[in-house]
Amino acid sequence: MAEAIRRRWGHFRRQPVFTGFCLFMAVLALNIIIQTPAKFFTVSNFRILLSKNMPLILTCLGQSVLMMCGVLDLSTGIQLAFVNVIAIMLPQELGVPVGLGWACALTGGVLISLFCGFCIVKLRLPALLTTFSITYIIKGVNVLIMGEPQGKVEKIIYKTYDSVLFGFLPFAALILLAVLLIWQYIKRTRYGRHMYAVGNNPRNAYAVGINPERVQMKAFLIKGFIVGLAGLCLTASNASGNPLQAEEYGIRSLSACMLGGMNFGGWGTLSCGLFGAGFLVIVQNAVYYLFNFLTKAIQGLMINSYWQNLVSDTIIFLGLLATIITAKAQRETLKQGFVKQLKRGEKYGG
Amino acid sequence: MFEMRGITKDFDAVKALKGASLSVRPGEIRSLLGANGSGKSTLVKVLAGLVKPDGGEVFIDGKPVRIRTSYDSKQLGIATAFQDLSLIPTMTVIDNIKLNKETVGRFGTIDVKKDRRDVEELLKLFRVRCDLDAYAQTLMPSTQSMLEVAKAVYAKPRLLLLDEVTATLHHDEIEGLFELLRKLRDEGTAIVYVTHRMKEVAKLCDSATIMRNGETVAELARDELNDLDGIVYHMTGKVPDKAKACGAQAAAAEGEALLEVSGLKYSPKVRDLSLTAYKGEILGIGGLDGQGQSEFIRLLLGEFQPEAGAIRYRGKEVRFRRPAEAVENGIGFISGERNREAIFPLRTIAENLFVGRTATGGLFKFIGNRRVNGFAREAVEKYNIKVGELEDPASSLSGGNQQKLIVARWIAVMPELLLLDDPTKGVDIASRREIHQILRQCAQKGMTVVVSSSDNDELMDLADRIYVFYEGRVQALLSCEDKTQERLVAEMMGFAEKEERANG
Repeated sequence: MAEAIRRRWGHFRRQPVFTGFCLFMAVLALNIIIQTPAKFFTVSNFRILLSKNMPLILTCLGQSVLMMCGVLDLSTGIQLAFVNVIAIMLPQELGVPVGLGWACALTGGVLISLFCGFCIVKLRLPALLTTFSITYIIKGVNVLIMGEPQGKVEKIIYKTYDSVLFGFLPFAALILLAVLLIWQYIKRTRYGRHMYAVGNNPRNAYAVGINPERVQMKAFLIKGFIVGLAGLCLTASNASGNPLQAEEYGIRSLSACMLGGMNFGGWGTLSCGLFGAGFLVIVQNAVYYLFNFLTKAIQGLMINSYWQNLVSDTIIFLGLLATIITAKAQRETLKQGFVKQLKRGEKYGG
Repeated sequence: MFEMRGITKDFDAVKALKGASLSVRPGEIRSLLGANGSGKSTLVKVLAGLVKPDGGEVFIDGKPVRIRTSYDSKQLGIATAFQDLSLIPTMTVIDNIKLNKETVGRFGTIDVKKDRRDVEELLKLFRVRCDLDAYAQTLMPSTQSMLEVAKAVYAKPRLLLLDEVTATLHHDEIEGLFELLRKLRDEGTAIVYVTHRMKEVAKLCDSATIMRNGETVAELARDELNDLDGIVYHMTGKVPDKAKACGAQAAAAEGEALLEVSGLKYSPKVRDLSLTAYKGEILGIGGLDGQGQSEFIRLLLGEFQPEAGAIRYRGKEVRFRRPAEAVENGIGFISGERNREAIFPLRTIAENLFVGRTATGGLFKFIGNRRVNGFAREAVEKYNIKVGELEDPASSLSGGNQQKLIVARWIAVMPELLLLDDPTKGVDIASRREIHQILRQCAQKGMTVVVSSSDNDELMDLADRIYVFYEGRVQALLSCEDKTQERLVAEMMGFAEKEERANG
């Protein structure tokens, strides 16, 4: 029995998700202590945590799908705003039924993701630089559609989004579960295997008859769908439109994936993205309560939000450092992966 | 019946294949032989769909087929085990072997249990024992090679291509593999076997195709495979002419030893290397690709640290920790990989020339533009590099002139020991001749030149004595009357194996 547990533990330690899991657990414990268990383990706390952060969590999942295939998309964050803008403006300006409008918004998210995929995969442009510039293109489009923050969402929608089912299950958790379930299926298909193969070594994947371009384009399709959902969650949670929000989610999701133990190229699973996102969310939450506690404990202490960011980002930085130090063997792959994102892609079978 | 006719392929200026042909019948193991760069691997890659040929035709059973992608190749029943392996390092053994051949069970998901059974069975056949859930990158090189072959065989191909798969295998593993290949042959699989080991050819193969410079030059039948001299003749294209007169230079070289290396070890490529270089000689290092030559050069330079062995230089035992230390001690290094290891493409020609000198000066020493340019002008005139303007970027020069630039960079600082690693790779014949000329002049002035080359003609032409490396050891030292093209090629293939066959 003890032997079996030790073996499983040894196996788990070698998994890519290991560092991400440890980091997540560490900050979770910290958060529970700061917030006190009695206040942390409440349904309403979970509801707020999940519904407020669902857009970020989903974005991280989308990004990790891309990273598995050895690509990335920095413009993911602003794509959320794009979906948000369409979802608000279609019903408001053109009188489209809300359901149809939101479906269009989701489709828009998929299309814009495919456009990024086209640039990176088919035109073989460097992923990091291309998507960085695409961020500004999308931003411009957003502002064209919606000049300033405005609009509202019907009450039933954000009420539903914020609701708790059966007394314990937040609605937002349901969306997350659905995405994870779909992923569990994809992972078990041939396509799931091909993603890893292409991510790690596209040339060798090509040599066994896999079409790397098609695999990567499909990843952009999946990511587009997930980001579309994230955009709708953002709309429901904010109950308004803002063409310039969520831009930093692009880079945040990237760091979340790396915190979770992902590498560019065939190393890491979706749970890496999940734990990485969880780490970000909990760190912010914990730091917020920490400063709350401090202002109460120390008379006359003034807090501004930049201090909170300073502390939380320092913790995140330390976390990133930890992943790089623990994943010694992967350092070289990580470096190569970064270089790959800055270079034009290779052509196979030329 | 698989047939390739008149295949041509150019990589930029280099003609890799010039009308190569190959044919193999079902139930035949045909070996594909040739020296370095004769186009064997390219030909294999054409069949595998990794390289698109510029011209020529492929026939299967008399019908012309087109192989545009690796997918086409798979569809035609061709499977390949590559020399540089096509495994995915971060995937498990099962996933690697089953990649793109996964069993799809109910609901479109992979039938994991059946995959495991299949792979277990397959590996039993290959007598490979390893953890099926281990990542490929954690396995030993020999196991990885076996998996590469197993993966190709698992596709149940009609044509199996094996490109130097035995390089890392142990003796008994090779025996087992051969047994299996013979069985496949008897079942009607056509097999093309690329190797450098003559012993394996005689043991396993039914016929041979020999390539030279991208052309198919000979087809040998079973009974001709034991004639090593004949094979070497086809590979080099030269009639054996015995015993050239020993040059005066070689005799003069027996002077003061500048560099003595003994028992150098650097796993896995360098196993046990000992050699001596005398003052004012040109020492050649020959061998097939990857027998430890480039590692050896970099060990001397201090880029790698040897695990065992000693380097005596100028009569003292030295161990350089960085290339910079070696350069300070009068060692120069010219690499054939000029883009990766030598040229600064965006900097000017003058700066590229001067950079060798800066390595020996102080870090904050002031260097004026006039000094750089004066130095460069002198070097350009002396070594006859055709340049537009000294201020132009180095990338404006042709490959041959870039290489001359690198040579001039180091000659100009007059090192005592000059190391060259394949210095004329991809350099046109005229520039090559000029580089040789410069090196000879330097040797006459007392510089010791150690040159490793994959080009046999270059070694024959340039070197006074040639050390032949084979699997990380010195296979032979050729000088005087021994120094013939035929001896060189025979030693490169592992001469000892020939004797073994004669005895056994």
